[in-house]
Amino acid sequence: MSSQPKSLVDLPPDTKGPHTSRLGIIAVVATFGGLLFGYDTGVVNGALEPLTHDFGLTPRTEGLVVSFLTIGAAFGAVIGGRLSDAFGRRSNILLLACFFIVGTLACALSPNWQFLTGARFVLGLAVGAASTTVPVYLAELAPFEKRGSLVTRNEVMIVVGQFAAFVINAVIFNIWGEHEGVWRYMLSVAVLPAIALLIGMLFLPESPRWLISKQREEQALGVLKQVRSDERAEAEMREVEILAEQEEVAKTGGVTDLASKWVLRLVLIGVGLGVAQQLTGINSVMYYGTQLLTDAGFSAESAIIANTFNGLFSVLGVTVGIMLINKLPRRFMLLGGFTLTSSFHLLIGLSAVFLPEGTFKAYAILVFIVLFVFSMQGTLGPLVWLMLAEIFPLKIRSFAMGICVFALWLANAAVAQFFPSVVSGLGISNTFFLFAGLGVLALIFIYCFVPETKDKTLEDLEAEFRTKYGE
Amino acid sequence: MSILVAVTDRAEGAAALTAAIAEAKLFDTDLVIVPLGISATFDTSALDESGIDYTVVARKGRGDRDPAEAVLDELDDRSDIDRLVIGMRRRSRVGKMLIGSVSQRLLLDSPVPVLAVKG
Repeated sequence: MSSQPKSLVDLPPDTKGPHTSRLGIIAVVATFGGLLFGYDTGVVNGALEPLTHDFGLTPRTEGLVVSFLTIGAAFGAVIGGRLSDAFGRRSNILLLACFFIVGTLACALSPNWQFLTGARFVLGLAVGAASTTVPVYLAELAPFEKRGSLVTRNEVMIVVGQFAAFVINAVIFNIWGEHEGVWRYMLSVAVLPAIALLIGMLFLPESPRWLISKQREEQALGVLKQVRSDERAEAEMREVEILAEQEEVAKTGGVTDLASKWVLRLVLIGVGLGVAQQLTGINSVMYYGTQLLTDAGFSAESAIIANTFNGLFSVLGVTVGIMLINKLPRRFMLLGGFTLTSSFHLLIGLSAVFLPEGTFKAYAILVFIVLFVFSMQGTLGPLVWLMLAEIFPLKIRSFAMGICVFALWLANAAVAQFFPSVVSGLGISNTFFLFAGLGVLALIFIYCFVPETKDKTLEDLEAEFRTKYGE
Repeated sequence: MSILVAVTDRAEGAAALTAAIAEAKLFDTDLVIVPLGISATFDTSALDESGIDYTVVARKGRGDRDPAEAVLDELDDRSDIDRLVIGMRRRSRVGKMLIGSVSQRLLLDSPVPVLAVKG
């Protein structure tokens, strides 16, 4: 998720022409790819309450229904990466758009919770594959001037997608709430952006970088000529070749490299960062926010509306985070972020214990939850992903990031699965005290082990790690 | 006649390189080096000082991911190689079980005689 403001090769500027509208469609795909990811992960939030009544779910089965999408995503991320390397980015995105459509309809038409869980796993495969393939495709097809902003737009659209899901669910619930199957309407709305993605991708070409990696240079030049001026296309071929080389090198490292102590430590730190990010419980709010607010004291109709503020402040947080990310040192942002989130966890827990039942308590908890989401998305949310891309030497980057991303999704799934059971067993206050405690552990971990990566070259980092942890 | 040496990032890798340079000088041949570490660049100062002809073959891509396979493939591709030089180090039983021993596989599967050097 890093931007490339400079090109590797001297390139003439990209002049306007018939290719400019094609480039515009790329921006649309950027928008819908991210939106779908966000929408499908966020839509369960408002749908969970009516769903629980309709299918008679217990906290345990609720957890299963919600977490199976995330488990699917863990596998989808790995499988999707392999498929897009083997068969191309475009065919992969078309395939996953179909999976989105089929998965969404299967969810909306499920006869029982077991079927729904299976359908959510299928949907999860698409979500995971999209999370890796779409940003890669965007970065590979976009001209370097637009690369950073397109990838950023994709990130922002993910949280906008979640916000949109919250708002649309609130509207649907407040208009048709008396229907038992209202959750089916909520889930099926997600099929619209999936169709838009499918249609949009039909107009877009394959990634030139991927074509070059498969020795299809003529086709690569053909694609470049579709989305750049002719002069620019010829010049850019050289840059695309260099980048394709780099990607090949990134895939060289594997399991045997973990035999070096410092490499193993580095991978463990990456896994720790990803897991720590998920154990803040951010996704427990994104998936279970409405129920959390109902427990806090809101009525069903107002909880689902109050929940939209979580989505709104998630979007605001991410926009602030993107601005801050290259202005602050990384460790400072990490430590600061965890301090903020743990403090708000503590305040949520304290409010749940000490405030008397009533509107003031409900609103206090809402405010602290919203502030937690804002501080999380403004720091740790984007920062962890950025650091994962920065800490690994080029040769093991693909392998190491694969492990870290998989671990991150599994931690996401674990939180999603156990949150309802923990809340019903321990109560809101104790659950958030638990999160606060995990946050303190994360702070210690980061303070002791995570290196500063801003303004350091990979060679510097490698040297630092070799001396610190040994061969 | 050529010599191929597989060089890891660690102490035994450096020892293997030193031994390989000595072998190449002794037999008056050139040297093919396959770096097995993950550094971006390979330090060729010792090679330049020795004055022998050498080629560095970089591992690249998923096909070269397994170091033993990468070295064996290189041996298959180059019919003029008749000695392999590798570094050896003691690995714990757990380490051997989880990651396997590259040195052991090369010793057993190499089509040419192997000079194994301890770090």
